[in-house]
Amino acid sequence: MIIVTRPGISDAELDHIRERVEALGMRTHVSRGEQRTIVGCIGEEERLQEVALLRLPGVESVLPVTKPFKLVAREFAVDRTIVRAGDGAAALFGGRELAVIAGPCSVEGAEMLRASAWAVRRAGAGLLRGGAFKPRTSPYAFQGLGKAALELLAEIRAETGLPVVTEVMDTRQVELVAEYADVLQVGARNMQNFALLSEVGRVQRPVLLKRGLAATVKELLMAAEYIMVQGNRDVILCERGIRTYETATRNTLDVAAIPVLKAETHLPVIVDPSHAGGRAELVAPLAFAAVAAGADGLIVEVHPDPERALSDGDQSLAPEGFAELMRRLAPFAEAAGRTLRAPALEAA
Amino acid sequence: MTAPEGGWRQGERAADGEAERGAPPELQALRSAIADLDRRLVELLAERVRLARRVGGAKRAAGLPTLDPAREAAVVRRASALAREHGLEPEAVRGIFWHLIGLSRRAQTEGP
Repeated sequence: MIIVTRPGISDAELDHIRERVEALGMRTHVSRGEQRTIVGCIGEEERLQEVALLRLPGVESVLPVTKPFKLVAREFAVDRTIVRAGDGAAALFGGRELAVIAGPCSVEGAEMLRASAWAVRRAGAGLLRGGAFKPRTSPYAFQGLGKAALELLAEIRAETGLPVVTEVMDTRQVELVAEYADVLQVGARNMQNFALLSEVGRVQRPVLLKRGLAATVKELLMAAEYIMVQGNRDVILCERGIRTYETATRNTLDVAAIPVLKAETHLPVIVDPSHAGGRAELVAPLAFAAVAAGADGLIVEVHPDPERALSDGDQSLAPEGFAELMRRLAPFAEAAGRTLRAPALEAA
Repeated sequence: MTAPEGGWRQGERAADGEAERGAPPELQALRSAIADLDRRLVELLAERVRLARRVGGAKRAAGLPTLDPAREAAVVRRASALAREHGLEPEAVRGIFWHLIGLSRRAQTEGP
C-alpha cells in the first residue's frame, strides 16, 4: 500500500500520517520528491482499513501494491534511485552517465592490477573490479588472494582514484571487505544466500547484486528486498546471463530483463556482458545490446594478458579491446539517451 | 593523484587512540571528544533500558499488554520532530529510535 501526498505537504502532516500508520504496528518508508511524497506502508495491510486514510490532511491518494516486494518496487519511490559510490560520490549508478566497472576477474598481483586499473581508467571506466575471494566451481582452482588482494585494491584506488568493487562470499567476510571496498558484490551463486543478503544490508556500502544462474526476475527483486529491509537503500541489480538449454554461449543474456526490471523497480540495473557470453568476442555485441535496451551501466572483465589469467581468461578483454569497446559504445549510449565518461587521456 | 581517505578506511579502527600517531592534533582532539560522547550515549542507552524494564513491571502489575504500537509510533514521531528542531536528518533518527524501541521491547519482557 502506498499513500501519495498532495504537493507541498508539511513535515507535521507527514509525521501525523506516519504515526497513524505505525500505530497499527506497520512500518513506513518515505520517498520525497520535489512535488509529492510517497509513504510506503509495510505490514498487515488489512489493518489500514481501520484508518480513514483519505481523510488525513495531506493525503491525495492511496494505492495498493500487490507485489511481494515493496521497498524495491517502482511505486515506492518518487524518483529512480541513484546510487553513489566511492569517496565524494566519485561514481554514480542510475544517472545519465553510464556507470562502467572494469578490471580483472581476480586480483593476481600488484603489477597486473595497476596495469589493469590505469588501462580501464584511461578508457573511461568509472570503477575498478577485482576479485579477492573467488567462488570457483572447483576447490582446486585459484581461490583468490583474500585480504592481500583487498589491500592491493585499496592501494590502487589511492593511486588512480577509481572506487573498487569486489565480491564478498560469506557473512564472516562482510566487515573485512567493507573496510576496503566501495561497493560489495554479491555473486550470482549467492543471490539467495539470505543470511549474506541481510548482512550486507546492515552495512553502509552500496551492494551490487547479481542475478542467480537460474533465478527469475521476481526472485532477484525479492533478494534485493532482503537487502533493503535492513536499511541499505543502495542496491544495484546486475543481469549477467541465465542458464538455458543453449550451450553455444556460457549463459544466455536476458536482454528483456533490462526493461522489465526498470519498470518493476526504481533501482539501477547494469549488465555483465563478460559472464553472459563467456567469450571475449561476445562482450562487445552484448554490451551494445545492454546499453541499447536501457541498462544503467556495465561490468566488464579486463586483463592485461588474458591468455595468462588465473580465472575467466576466455572472456576477458585485453586493454586495447576494452578501449575499443568503449569507443564503439558511444553511438549506442547516445541512442539510449545516455552519456559516457570521456576517456582520460593523461596518465595521471 | 590520491583519493581522499574516508574516516572509516583507516583511523576508525584505532578508536582507542593507539595508531593515532599520524593524525593531526585537531583531529585527535575531536575524536577524543567523540569517544567521551559515545561513552555518555551508551550510559544513557543503559539508563533507557533500565527504565524500560521498570515499565515492563508496571504494565504487568496493571494488567496491561507489553506491546503498544500506538505508543511506539508516538515515541518515534516525537523523536523525529525533535531531530528536525536540532537540524538533524529525521529519517536517520527515526531509524535509531526504532532500534531503541526494539531494545526497549525486549527489556520490558524481561522486567523487574
